[in-house]
Amino acid sequence: MLRKLMLSILAGTTLTGSAMAADLTSMSWDGIVAQAKEEGEVTWFQWYFEDRFRNVVPAFEEQYGIKVNLPDLDGGDAGLNKVMAEAGRETGAVDVLSISGDKTKAISPSDFFIGPILSLLPEANAVTDKAQGGDWGGYAIKFWGNQTGMGYDSNRVNLEDLPQTVAELETWMAANPQQLGFNFENGGSGPSFINNVARNILGLTGDAEAPESLDLAPVFDWFVDHEDEYVLTTSNNDSYARINSGEFLMVPVWEDGIAGLIQSGEMGGHIKVYLPEWGMNGGGNVVAIPKNAPHPAAALVFISWLTSAETQTELNKTFGSAPSNSNSDDSFALISNAERANSTNWSGGALPADAVVPAVIENVFQR
Amino acid sequence: MPRYLRIVLLLTPGLGLVVVMMSMVIYRAVAQSFGLYNFGGEDILSLAHWQEMFDNRRYWSALRWSGYIATTSALLSVALAYPLALWLRRPFFGSTILSAMIKAPYFVPGLVAAFLLINVISFHGFVNEFMIWIGLWDKPVRMQNDENGYAIIGLQVWKQLPLAFLLLLGSIQSIPDSVLHAAQDLGAGTLARFRRVVLPLTMKAMQAALVLIFIGAAGDFSFQAIAGPARKNSMATLMTQLQGSNYSDWNGAAVVGVTLMGLSLVGAVALAGFVQLMTKFTENVR
Amino acid sequence: MKRRHISTILAIAVSFALFFWLAIPFAMAVMWSMVDPGHPWSYPDILPPKLSFERWRVVWETTSLPTAMLNSYTLAPVAGICTLLLAAPTAYAFGREEFRGKAIAQVVILIPLVLPGFVTAVFFASLLLSLGIFEKYPAVLLGHIVLYMPYAVRILSVSFSQVQDDVVNAARDLGASPFEVFRAAYFPVLKPGIFAAFLIVFVLSIEEFAIAFIVGVPDFTTIPTILFSYLGFEFVRTNAAVVALILVVPNVILMLVLERLLQSANPASVSGKG
Repeated sequence: MLRKLMLSILAGTTLTGSAMAADLTSMSWDGIVAQAKEEGEVTWFQWYFEDRFRNVVPAFEEQYGIKVNLPDLDGGDAGLNKVMAEAGRETGAVDVLSISGDKTKAISPSDFFIGPILSLLPEANAVTDKAQGGDWGGYAIKFWGNQTGMGYDSNRVNLEDLPQTVAELETWMAANPQQLGFNFENGGSGPSFINNVARNILGLTGDAEAPESLDLAPVFDWFVDHEDEYVLTTSNNDSYARINSGEFLMVPVWEDGIAGLIQSGEMGGHIKVYLPEWGMNGGGNVVAIPKNAPHPAAALVFISWLTSAETQTELNKTFGSAPSNSNSDDSFALISNAERANSTNWSGGALPADAVVPAVIENVFQR
Repeated sequence: MPRYLRIVLLLTPGLGLVVVMMSMVIYRAVAQSFGLYNFGGEDILSLAHWQEMFDNRRYWSALRWSGYIATTSALLSVALAYPLALWLRRPFFGSTILSAMIKAPYFVPGLVAAFLLINVISFHGFVNEFMIWIGLWDKPVRMQNDENGYAIIGLQVWKQLPLAFLLLLGSIQSIPDSVLHAAQDLGAGTLARFRRVVLPLTMKAMQAALVLIFIGAAGDFSFQAIAGPARKNSMATLMTQLQGSNYSDWNGAAVVGVTLMGLSLVGAVALAGFVQLMTKFTENVR
Repeated sequence: MKRRHISTILAIAVSFALFFWLAIPFAMAVMWSMVDPGHPWSYPDILPPKLSFERWRVVWETTSLPTAMLNSYTLAPVAGICTLLLAAPTAYAFGREEFRGKAIAQVVILIPLVLPGFVTAVFFASLLLSLGIFEKYPAVLLGHIVLYMPYAVRILSVSFSQVQDDVVNAARDLGASPFEVFRAAYFPVLKPGIFAAFLIVFVLSIEEFAIAFIVGVPDFTTIPTILFSYLGFEFVRTNAAVVALILVVPNVILMLVLERLLQSANPASVSGKG
């Protein structure tokens, strides 16, 4: 459906954009910066931490004299949706679009974005166009690395007592009923948990081969059998608010989400994060320039600044995100490097999240 | 200028605009549910989208849920509004403040109301801490996003009670005292007077209140999205979800939208008819 | 005498109940909005460890609340005036003319009120998408005008019907121009109705969520859409508390003014009878 919508919009629409794209890819970096300064502003569609990014972007504004507009978005797809719906417009409203790294499934980069832009960037050899299992072919650059894990209330529970395997998780849940909460929509922390528990139940962890026919019944049974022991929350942030208010001992979280809330004083520092042996998904987000961007050069300069080693180090300090520039420093993360080995991939492996989470929602949570 | 032309011209900017816009919106919903105006794909008139929804568990679950919430909220609001309206029918010391406080929630936007409620009922919120403090509960009760929708029904009643109250109050106040007194003189007790005099004379207002609250609650999005159980969708949240970017299924959303309009209509007619029957019945009962 | 006694006791008791019905929820919202960013309010603190207005400053400076307020407060008066102007002729016809089908017309104008808001919003958006209309402000404005037309028509038609024929005729007989007739005979009677209709459209437009959310997102934010994001996807209780208070307080005040106006203008229209 999504693809059909895009194709119809694309037919006979993107000519003006390509002309501009050609301009940018054939210019020198100095020429691009000069044009960017002339354009004078850039609109960045970023769907999380907009408020706190407003404290980060002034560094860019000061350096280049280019103003950054950061509208508040509601949810990860609002911006992508808008760019796709308005691809037919000669001049769009979005200069820089943040997208979850795995969205290569939903959108064809070369149809919608200016590029390839990777090779144009001054720090091209330290940044990447691959994130969360998606390969953007140089049309989008990774600017954010993130990891899901299990958040716990360290005032009331010790790390040694927390489960590392699904078998231990079962024992723990039976001993601490309704002390585990997770979401299945409005954010990926809960879906990551569902995904990885399912992988363990089906024995599809690590390098396991994908089975010929996938039978999810044991996964449905697991979530039905333990229904009285867990609580469903309504979003990432609902889980965060409720573990902070003492309702749960453990919830799946985004590492950067927790780090950000602790930094801004919305959450107490007693909420900590660990990455259990059963695995939790890690991923990343990318930025790209829509073909009908009103300020394409400014957008490119902004992306170059955002993915630079210096800015990435700053983001790690401010948000706890994993840097996407290999020359930056990542010493401010909440999860230890040893635990990071347990990180799993959203779309990789024998059981991608998309193959299991919607089915669990329909057959268990909303049955 | 001929008179009819004058009337038509007068009606055009207001009524005309409403009719054109609303019929376009309704037509569009119906057409998209049958596969027309298919963004991207070909326009094929078909029942496929209805078929697809009929096979979808979430569709039926949302339909049942919205029907349940709307019916319960409408009946509960009216049941609570009656005694209040009867009590506040004549002014007495403090009655102005009382009716102002009953009416106040009507002025509070739904989103704010939902927020206020989830604060109060959260795990360590006021209600839990208070009940533990006075010793009625020994541990906090999880009330947020409860599976029975009590929070949503509570919100609907909180927000819609004023509407029922105002409609009933106006109607009750227009019953002449002499009528009530006459019934009393004939020896009718409070309940009998309510049944035989008040109920028939306020039937129209009660129907209006039930219908308006039912329609409002059936189409609810905000309360469901914020305070509703995660396991359930209301028709409006399901429709928005289908239309949203994860699915971009406008045709499926249209099926849900048309069903929601149908639910509103059927619910409204059923409630109004129920009141009519009930009034007739109680009138005849000795 | 005894009956009155009971009544007073009851009134006091219910006042207490209603105090908790209203005061506690709002007190919690005020407290959450004043949690100091340096001292998070987490379990087991019963009350926030430190209160300050710092959160208000942070929300004002780092969220798009100023833009949303600007959008909401520029949209609402324009919606009010446009609705008023478009509603007036229809209201005149309803209030002062007799014609066939009037009863039906008076019911038909109510359709926007009974159609579920999100159905209207989603298929209005679908309409805009295929018409290729991408400008958000006029789209949301048009939506609000249509949505709130019934209120304006209803209030104004009651006002029009209260204009006395003999005053109009007397003014005409004295040779007054149409404008002077309007000023002398119509305006004084219409004035409270005009204010009331404007105010109700204004308040409802500020609060409107469905159209602003479905049609306006992501770039046209209003106060309710920002509040929804702080209640849903980006749930942050403290920020939500600030935005909720900013949304609700002015509207409650305006609604109280409105009620006064409606009572003085035409009590019938408050209760929906008219």
